[in-house]
Amino acid sequence: MRHTFIIARRVLAQLKGDRRFLALSILAPLLIIYFLKLLFDTFPPFVDVKSYTMPVSAFIVHFMSLILCAILLVQERTKGTLERMMIGGFSKTSIIGGYTLGYLGLATVQAITVLAETIWLFHLTYHAGTVLLLFIVIWLLAIVSVMLGIFISTFAKHEAQVFPFIPLIILPSVFLTGLIIKPDGLPIWAEIIGKCLPLHYAVNIIHEITKPGYLVSATFVDFGILSGYIVGLLVLASLSLKETE
Amino acid sequence: MNAIEIVNLRKNYGKITALNNMSLDVPEGTIYGLVGPNGSGKTTLIKALVGSLRPGSGSVKVLGLDPLKDKWKLRKQIGYMPQSAALYDDLSARNNILFFGKAQNVAELHKKVDDILAFAELTNRANDKVSTFSGGMKKRVSLCCALVHDPKIIFLDEPTAAVDPHLKMQSWILFRKLALRGVTIFVSTHQMDEVMLCDKVTLLLNGEILAVDTPQNILQLGKTTLKIVVNKTENNTVIDSTAKGLADELKKSGLDATISSVELHADTIEDIILSMLCEKEKEARQ
Repeated sequence: MRHTFIIARRVLAQLKGDRRFLALSILAPLLIIYFLKLLFDTFPPFVDVKSYTMPVSAFIVHFMSLILCAILLVQERTKGTLERMMIGGFSKTSIIGGYTLGYLGLATVQAITVLAETIWLFHLTYHAGTVLLLFIVIWLLAIVSVMLGIFISTFAKHEAQVFPFIPLIILPSVFLTGLIIKPDGLPIWAEIIGKCLPLHYAVNIIHEITKPGYLVSATFVDFGILSGYIVGLLVLASLSLKETE
Repeated sequence: MNAIEIVNLRKNYGKITALNNMSLDVPEGTIYGLVGPNGSGKTTLIKALVGSLRPGSGSVKVLGLDPLKDKWKLRKQIGYMPQSAALYDDLSARNNILFFGKAQNVAELHKKVDDILAFAELTNRANDKVSTFSGGMKKRVSLCCALVHDPKIIFLDEPTAAVDPHLKMQSWILFRKLALRGVTIFVSTHQMDEVMLCDKVTLLLNGEILAVDTPQNILQLGKTTLKIVVNKTENNTVIDSTAKGLADELKKSGLDATISSVELHADTIEDIILSMLCEKEKEARQ
């Protein structure tokens, strides 16, 4: 565990040192949500834009965390620091744990700022309990995204190889997880693909808890699956992160 | 006692043979040089020794341990400086060294880091971001990271490339001091002047060992050319590299009063190694 904290502290110090990256990671999602507001304002009044705002905000955090974490870990590989860390005595588990903990700090800030801006810009009125649940789901999704980013990074030899994963993971998440349309109208095979993507469960929870008179118990299964993704991706990332060429 | 034992080591990248049936012993406490042109297999061999590369076949023992099976025991005892700086640009030199030192639980780490920064003449820039450093300074920081935990054996992949001559000499003085304390230095280089500073060298070409010897013995493989100019006519003769050889040749010329100059050209280590590499390449082409 000591090594995990050493790496997490180093990741945080590195993020602090790279102010441009830090500012972009926090400001870019806020700017995108503002653009979303401009877009939704053009929709006719009968379109219930409020039901889309929170899932889209969650998706933005998911996308940013995944891509940034994957690129930064690939950078570690191309610069040789990943190899040096491993030969220097850090285990694969402590590297993954350290990265997750380090980026969790950034993901938490992203989740809080995105949630606050979305509620404020779209004049959403939720109970404190709902806001807390929304924060938890976005935060859990951010952890999943960091794990997924680490997993993806193991298949990329350089930064450019991360980008093919955008159409592979991100675009199906947009179309098949219920972000735009309900997945039950999709062909079964497409619905199955959608259910394999973690955003599906986050969107399910958000739809559920933003309904009036919702039951928290109705979200337990989806919360469980989202948490299961964290464990599953941790195992997968540990298996796929190679110590040797 | 050998610090490194390599038996029939082989590594292929697809159809390319990076290491071809290599066998090698490195005695403890020596500065062992690995010399060869780019693509000769120096980095591949070092990676196999530090456990970041899985060999195709053969066996490797470092300090009696298998770099893959006994990786946790071994990693505490080895230092590794890769060819690229392998540092975090957004961290200071001090924080980079501290980070790698913490991984090895170094006692009195902060004092150790101060000492090593002073050695590398980086004290004044210790708290500056590595991104503001020159290539040579980054190499110095990288060397500090490899040395911070007092390893028993240090693998240095071209440690003095892009380092200024002053620090280069200082680095070699440190390597010698470490070797005198029993630390084994395994260093790859393509700078021929550094070959003479090693206790023993292995010459690599296309993943094969071309020669294993002391630099002095390799130097004796060279020839000395005696150039005598008589009445503006040059006469070049290859003689053996001894005083007797020179005297015999001068006697043959009768120590003629018309001899206006005598020049001796002895092969340098660079000449010898380059001619060995060229001969091997010629043989391979035939």
